[in-house]
Amino acid sequence: MRLALLLAAAAAIAAVPVFFEDSYWRANLTICAINVMLAIGLDFILGYAGQLNLGHSAFYGIGAYASTLLIMKLDTPFWMAFALAMALSGVAGMALSIFAVRLRGHYLAIASLGFAVIVHQVLLNWISVTQGPLGIYAIKPPPAIALPGLPVIAFSNPANMFYLVAGFALLFYLLLDQLARSPIGETLTAIREDEVSAASLGINCAAWKVFAFGVGAAVAGAAGAFYASFVGTLVPDAFIITESFTILAMVILGGMGTLIGPVLGAIVLTILPELLRGFGDLRLVLYGFALMLAVLFMPGGMAQAARLARALCGRVLRAQVPG
Amino acid sequence: MTPNVAAKAVANDGWRAPDGVLFRGECLNKSFGGVHAVRDISLDITQGSVFAIIGPNGAGKSTLLNLMSGIYQPDRGAMRLEGVDLVGLPAYRRVRLGLGRTFQKIRLFKHLTVLENVLAGFHVHHRIPAWQYIVHARVFQRDYARCRDEAMRLLEFVGLTPRAATPAASLAYGEQRMLELARALATAPRLLLIDEPAAGLNAAEVEKLLDRIGRLRARGMTIVVVEHNMDLVMQIADRVLVMDYGQYLFEGSPAEVQASPAVIAAYLGD
Amino acid sequence: MSTVILQQGINGIVFGSLYVLVALGLTLIYGVLVQINFAHADVVTLGAFAAYFFTFVFGGNYLVSIGVALVVGAALGWLVNAAIFAPLRERGSELLPLIATIGASILLQNAMLIWFGPIPYAFDSPYSNAVLRLWGGTYITWQNLIIIGVSTLTIAMLYAFMKLTYMGKALRAVAQDRETAGLMGIDPNKLIMLTFVIASALAGMGGAMLGPILVLTPFAGTTVIVKAFAIVIIGGFGNVEGTIIAGLLVGLIESYTTQLVNPGLTDIVVFTLLLAMLALRPTGLIAEKREENV
Repeated sequence: MRLALLLAAAAAIAAVPVFFEDSYWRANLTICAINVMLAIGLDFILGYAGQLNLGHSAFYGIGAYASTLLIMKLDTPFWMAFALAMALSGVAGMALSIFAVRLRGHYLAIASLGFAVIVHQVLLNWISVTQGPLGIYAIKPPPAIALPGLPVIAFSNPANMFYLVAGFALLFYLLLDQLARSPIGETLTAIREDEVSAASLGINCAAWKVFAFGVGAAVAGAAGAFYASFVGTLVPDAFIITESFTILAMVILGGMGTLIGPVLGAIVLTILPELLRGFGDLRLVLYGFALMLAVLFMPGGMAQAARLARALCGRVLRAQVPG
Repeated sequence: MTPNVAAKAVANDGWRAPDGVLFRGECLNKSFGGVHAVRDISLDITQGSVFAIIGPNGAGKSTLLNLMSGIYQPDRGAMRLEGVDLVGLPAYRRVRLGLGRTFQKIRLFKHLTVLENVLAGFHVHHRIPAWQYIVHARVFQRDYARCRDEAMRLLEFVGLTPRAATPAASLAYGEQRMLELARALATAPRLLLIDEPAAGLNAAEVEKLLDRIGRLRARGMTIVVVEHNMDLVMQIADRVLVMDYGQYLFEGSPAEVQASPAVIAAYLGD
Repeated sequence: MSTVILQQGINGIVFGSLYVLVALGLTLIYGVLVQINFAHADVVTLGAFAAYFFTFVFGGNYLVSIGVALVVGAALGWLVNAAIFAPLRERGSELLPLIATIGASILLQNAMLIWFGPIPYAFDSPYSNAVLRLWGGTYITWQNLIIIGVSTLTIAMLYAFMKLTYMGKALRAVAQDRETAGLMGIDPNKLIMLTFVIASALAGMGGAMLGPILVLTPFAGTTVIVKAFAIVIIGGFGNVEGTIIAGLLVGLIESYTTQLVNPGLTDIVVFTLLLAMLALRPTGLIAEKREENV
C-alpha cells in the first residue's frame, strides 16, 4: 500500500512537468516542492513534538543565505554549501529549542516569533554581508550533473530543477515518515500530549525537543538553499515573519500530526492562489477565511476531511450491499 | 537508625541496603512557599512487598510520591533505590533504574490510541541501531513486533484488549485508570508507584484493581500505593506508613495501624 | 548632547505609552483566557483608519476621532471573541485559537488592502506641527502631548476600574483563578466578552494615536503587535503593572537605539532583550510563582 503510494508520488513528480509546459507553471511547481519541504519540517516540530514554533521562516532564511554566501563569497561547491546550510539551520533550530526546553506553549510561540524577527532584521541590516534590502543577484542554479553515457542534466532547465527539488522533497518526506513510524514518533507525540507523563515513562523531553527542532529546521534549511539557487535572487523580505504564518497555514489546513496532510496543504495553498489570481487581493482574504474556518470546523485539516469522507463512503457502500 | 548512621550511609557510595530493602528514603523534606508538605519522612520499602502510604487529604502523600518519582526534588534528605542515589536525578532518569508510576489526576496521552499509550511506555527498552530508525531493517522489525506483542499482553492483563484501537480520551474513567497502570507497567518497573488508584472507581473496578495489584506482587514486583481509603489499604498492604500534616504519624502492619490510637484520632478528628 | 538625551526620552515615552495601550489589551485577554490574539494587530490598524476617515473624510475633530476609534475597536473586539474565541473555548487548546486569529488577521489585512489600497496614507493630525517648547531646547508636539495625556488618563481609568469596581475585581479574580469568578456570581462568558471589548477599545484608541506617527498602511498594526507581544512577555503575561513598565522601557530603548546607535537595529535590540528575558526570567519583570499541580 505504502509502496504503491510512493510509486504513484514518484510517477506524479515525473509526469507533472510534461503537462505544464510553460515556464510560469513549472516555476510554481518548484516553489510548491519547496513549500512541501517547509511544511513537513514544521509539522515535525509542531504536529509531532507539539512545539509551538512560529519562527520557521528564520530557518528557511538561514538556509537560503548561508548556502548562497558560502557559494558566492567562499567559492564552496554547491552540494557542500547545501549540506552546510542544512547543518547551520539545524543548529539554529536546536539553539531555539533551548527556549522550548524551558518554556511552554505561548511563551515559546512568542520566543520563536522574536527569533524570526531578529533573523529577518539581521539579514536586512548586516549590509556588508547580505547586501541588505538591495538583495543578492545572479545566484547560479546547482551545477549540472554529467553521468557517463547520458546527456548532461542541467538545472538551468526548469523541468530538471523541478525533478531535483521534488526528488529531495520526496526524500525528506520518506525520512520523516520513517522516523514518525518508528518509536521516535511515539516518543514525540507523547511529549506533545503530556510532558510530565512522558517523563514518567523515561522520556528525556528536553533532548527530544532539541532533536525535533534540529530535524525540522534542517529540512527548512534545505528548502532555503533550493529556493536561492532556483529563484536566483535573495532579498530579506522573502523570509519575513508572515512567511512563517503561510507555512503554518499549510500545516494546519493539511492536517498537523500527519505527514501527508501538510504535503497536500502545501500543494493546495501554493497552486490555488495561482489559480485564483484573477481575484486579485481577494484571494488572500479567502486564504485567511479558509484558515479560520478550518480551525473552527475541521481542526484536523484535509487529513481529517479525507478520513471522514472515507468513512462516509464506506457507510454508503455498506448500506447499498444488503439492499 | 540514628541520624549519624544515616549520614554515613549517604556519604558512602558503596553502601548497600540491608537485605531485602529495595528503596530507602531518609529524612525527606519538601516545602512549597510556607507550606511544609513533607517533613522528615523516612521509609524502607522491602523487595516484593506492597507498601501503602495513607493519611487524610493534604497529608503530603502525593508530594512524597512525587519526591520518589522525581517530579520534585527534596529540599533535604536522601533516597536510594538498591543503593543508587536518587537525589538530583530527574524523573526520566529514574525510569531506567526501575521506577514506574501512575498519576492521581489521570494523565494519559488523550489523542493517542490505547495501544499507542502503552507502546510509548517501552521508550527505555528499545535496542535499535540508529540507522534502522530510518531504514526499518531486521532488528527494527523484531523490536516492533516484540513491543506490540508485549503491549497487547499488558492490555489483556488490565482487560482492555477490545479497546486497543480506541483513543484514550474516549475510555470510561475506570478504564483510563487501568490504562495508566498498563502504560506504567510497560516501563518494566521494579518499584511501581501508584497514586490513589481507587479514586473514582466503582466497587467492581476496585475489586479488579486489587486483584491485579495482587498478581503483580505475586510476580515479585514491589509496589507503593498512596491511598486515603483505609479499607482498601488494609486488604493489600504488607506495611503501612501513616502521614498527617506532612509528618510521620505511624508505621506498621495493617493490623497495627488499625489498632493505633494516634491513627484513629487523626482520621476521626479530621 | 543632554538635549538629545532628553528629547529622545520624550519621544521614547510617547511611543512607549502607545505600546502600553496596545500591550495592555493583549495582557488582559491573556490574563482571562490564557490565549493569544493575533487579530489585535488589525484592531489597531482599523482604529487608525477609523480616525483617519473620521477626521479627513467626514471633517471631524481629531480628538473626537480617538473616541470613534475606541468604539470601532470595541466592536471589532466583540466580533473577534464571538466568532473565534467563544466557539473554540470548549476545545481547551492553546494552539487552535492562536491559528484562527492568524487567519482572521490575514483576512482583515487583505480586506483592508482591497478597501484602502497599499499606498501609505498621510495622516497629518492638526496637532502634529504645533510645538510646545520645553526647557533646554527640547520640545514636544501637541500631538505627542495628546498621546501622553490620553494614554495616561486611559491607563489610570483602567487601573481604577480594575481596583475599585466590582466588575474590575471580578476580572482580576478570573485572571487569578477561573473558579473564583463563578463563586462571585458573575457569568464568565460576560466577563470574557467585557475583557475583549475593553482590550480592543484600548487598541483602537492606540491606533488612532499611532496613525499620525506611523506609516499608515493595512499592515501598520502588525509591526506594532509583534513589539506588543515582546512587551507583554517582558512585563510578564497577564501582569498589568509589568506591562506598563515594559512598554515604556521598550519605547525608550527604541528611541535611544535609533538616535545613538542605528535605526535599523531597534528591533534586534528589543527582541534580543525579549529572548534574554525569556531565557533568564520567563515570568517577567515582576515575577509571580505558580506550582504545577500533579
